[in-house]
Amino acid sequence: MKKAATTLLAAALLLAPVPGCGPDGDVLVVYTPHGRDLLEHFGEGFEARHPGVQVHWLDMGSQEVLERLRSERANPQADVWWGAPDDMFIRAAEDGLLASFPPSWAEHLAEDHMDPESRWFATFLTPEVIAYNSAAVPRSEAPRDWNDVLDPRWRDQVLIREPLASGTMRAIFAAIIYRESEGTGDPTAGYDWLLRLDAQTKEYVLNPTLLYQKLARQEGLVTLWNMPDIETLKATTDFPIDYTIPEGGTPVVVDGIAVVHGAPSPELAQAFVEYVGSEEALQEAAEHFFRIPARTDLDPAGLPEWLREALPRIRPMEVERATLLEQTPVWMRHWDANIRRRGQAQGYE
Amino acid sequence: MGGGSQGRFVKRTTPLWLLLPVFGLFIWLVLYPHLFVLGDSLWIGERLSLDGYRTFFTSRSELEALWGSLWISGASVLLSAMVGIPLAFFFTRYDFPGRSLLAALAAVPVLLPPLVGVIAFLFLYGESGIVTRSVQAALGLERAPWRMVGGWAILLVHTYSMYVYFYLFTAAGLARLDPSAMEAAESLGAGRTRTLLRVTLPMLAPSLVAASLLVFMTSMASFSAPYIFGGGFRVLTTQIFQSKVSGEVTMAMVQTVVLASASLLFLWGLRRFDRGREFAAVGKGVGAVRKPVRSPWARTLVPTVAVAGVFVLLLPHLTLLLVSFVPQGTWTMEVLPSRYSLENYRALLERPQLWTPVANSLQMATLATAGNLVFCFVVAYLLVRGRFRGKGTMGFLTMLPWALPGTVIAVALATTFSVNQPWFGRFILVGSFWILPLAYFLRNIPLVAQATIASFRQYDPSLEEAAYSLGAGWPTTMRRIAAPLVLPGLAAGGLLAWVTALGEFVSSILLYTYRSRPISIEILSQLRAFDFGAAAALGVVLACLMTAAFALGGRFVQGGLTGPRG
Repeated sequence: MKKAATTLLAAALLLAPVPGCGPDGDVLVVYTPHGRDLLEHFGEGFEARHPGVQVHWLDMGSQEVLERLRSERANPQADVWWGAPDDMFIRAAEDGLLASFPPSWAEHLAEDHMDPESRWFATFLTPEVIAYNSAAVPRSEAPRDWNDVLDPRWRDQVLIREPLASGTMRAIFAAIIYRESEGTGDPTAGYDWLLRLDAQTKEYVLNPTLLYQKLARQEGLVTLWNMPDIETLKATTDFPIDYTIPEGGTPVVVDGIAVVHGAPSPELAQAFVEYVGSEEALQEAAEHFFRIPARTDLDPAGLPEWLREALPRIRPMEVERATLLEQTPVWMRHWDANIRRRGQAQGYE
Repeated sequence: MGGGSQGRFVKRTTPLWLLLPVFGLFIWLVLYPHLFVLGDSLWIGERLSLDGYRTFFTSRSELEALWGSLWISGASVLLSAMVGIPLAFFFTRYDFPGRSLLAALAAVPVLLPPLVGVIAFLFLYGESGIVTRSVQAALGLERAPWRMVGGWAILLVHTYSMYVYFYLFTAAGLARLDPSAMEAAESLGAGRTRTLLRVTLPMLAPSLVAASLLVFMTSMASFSAPYIFGGGFRVLTTQIFQSKVSGEVTMAMVQTVVLASASLLFLWGLRRFDRGREFAAVGKGVGAVRKPVRSPWARTLVPTVAVAGVFVLLLPHLTLLLVSFVPQGTWTMEVLPSRYSLENYRALLERPQLWTPVANSLQMATLATAGNLVFCFVVAYLLVRGRFRGKGTMGFLTMLPWALPGTVIAVALATTFSVNQPWFGRFILVGSFWILPLAYFLRNIPLVAQATIASFRQYDPSLEEAAYSLGAGWPTTMRRIAAPLVLPGLAAGGLLAWVTALGEFVSSILLYTYRSRPISIEILSQLRAFDFGAAAALGVVLACLMTAAFALGGRFVQGGLTGPRG
């Protein structure tokens, strides 16, 4: 019996080669939260343009990407970081984690949609929306603006994605605090609004996937999320989920891309950044994955109809970027310690 | 164990050539990296400061989290013991048709990797889960009869996944018990209860203490269950995660040190209790004798109850299997999914890159476990039989990885081995293949060592003395006497370690690279990609691999759970 086990063990160890030791050809590694479908699409597109190159991507939350780049600083494994709100790119750039590389399409970006030292650039603009279960809530009764979510009708019917881990939720909470402070810089009114939202909230949900499931199964009826993800759900699943674009204005997250400092394949990384910002790639992203291009020079006729129809309804919420960059961590800490699960106890109905 | 007859073999101190490498490895890989964590909790800005700790101990939510971790872990030990110990007795003592199959199935919770298990619970007992919806429909309720949230939900998941430690350890202990001790007690007029309380349980004490330790430490470090089911319930592991996500490095390190200290205190207390409880049975090669179930009604009732119990234990697995056949995005309001197909499995076959993680996990788990078996055998021998100064320290170092949550070990390794300073014992392992097997190896040292120690304690050292006195050297004695006698414990520990490494998630998520990504990470990406079906299908593959391991490995635990009778 022992012999058999020893033989088996030895066989298992010998048969499996140690990864990373064999010849590998040209490999491009992308860290990204954009999801499998989008990544496979553009991975294949890039491979078709660069024969012999393999695109590998790791799908994870944008905050995780940032932590990973930090811990791999001494031995970087990634070439490209694609996808995160701009404030994370700003932090990473300050930490020296990103390499400077201006793609040719950078000149078509608005000035605050890129790094002055060319370390990151915006690819997509992502508006936040109010999503609801369309089987239980007719379109006419769905919340039309942020304040409608505080209506007694949605008491214990609101689901919120765990906010600390989510770029989307951080952007929404920060924008609302900023809006409620009316330029005074005092977050009290915003905290008050979030306490009322907490009193409405049935559950903080671990990740987007669970959030969609719970919304579709009517464990809650309303949530706050981003437009491309909900559009993709509508297109690819039978889930009865729809959304409204807040009438009074909504935060629009600037979603970027960057070459990693010390990337194992810097030339490929630059070629990839060049490729996903090209007019053709952005049009495909808009058509198949409901992404709004950040570039300002694209011909509207080349954009899909849903986008031409939706664009006029999106009113970007006015926010002061520097304040948000500095204050969001403070606000979120306060939210976690003093607002999470305290709304109902404080008598907010 | 004869008082005056210790020969020269027993008295001699353990040789340095054995001690030095073991201590060296412990200090370099276990102690050294964690000093960096302690340092980071005290080093704020440019100077040493206790501010981090001051903030922690004056904050209501932090203290809430500390208390939550403590009582959840204590309650998990009690509940797991209440399920695991009777089960082990039941299957070891009684014989009935289908016993050995059911006995093996009773260990199935260990076949659910942490993350997947929690998701299966959600589909089963969550607010719109199968069981919940069935009860709701049967009773005609308007709302779900319960919500899977808060302390009790965490406890349910913990009990389900951790009673296995009590079950396996108790069964291994019972397998090594000499039935003649019980027979002697009974022939001296002790009743069944008295024999159980005064003879059987005290002799099982090493196994029970080992299981309690494992459950307590696992609960303290548990992350997936409180994260998914916690709601507003705070425990330290989730607080560490939140701090890390918010970029509060110092606070995360302070919370980590507090978590580790609490676990270490428990470890220290239990070891004090355990001290001086060494005893040994002089085995005569007679295994436990199982009583066949005789009375006619019991012959139907016992297997029925066993089958029903095992079915409940299997429900999460069945759910996983069910979900793996559900096409993406089709299951919403129904109690059971309405459509089934092989789509998810076809996708697995059509995406060859999905098989790479399976191969990676197999290889890394095997490497780590092979290391564990060799290293922990030596460590257990030294701790039980060795005579040297610093034994207490070695015992402490052995349990240290368990007192530290997987996240901490990962962070500590990533910090220490991200710089190339050979003179300080630091090399660049971050971003390489070897860091994950290393992390698995470290995390599983306590598991394998505890199981082996329990086995070492249960046989009489005079057997080794006899070998020495007959002229056998140390290696021969180890190979011919010690290894076969501790094999049940070593195999049980190694098996659990291999299975744990195969589905490991908590440290993997911080340390994997594209080339070495394990199964759990691929499952997570599928969940992220909104592909519950593919994730469930991968989970089924993982569970099958683990089952195969148990089927194969169960043969080693001779006379234990699945071995031949008598």
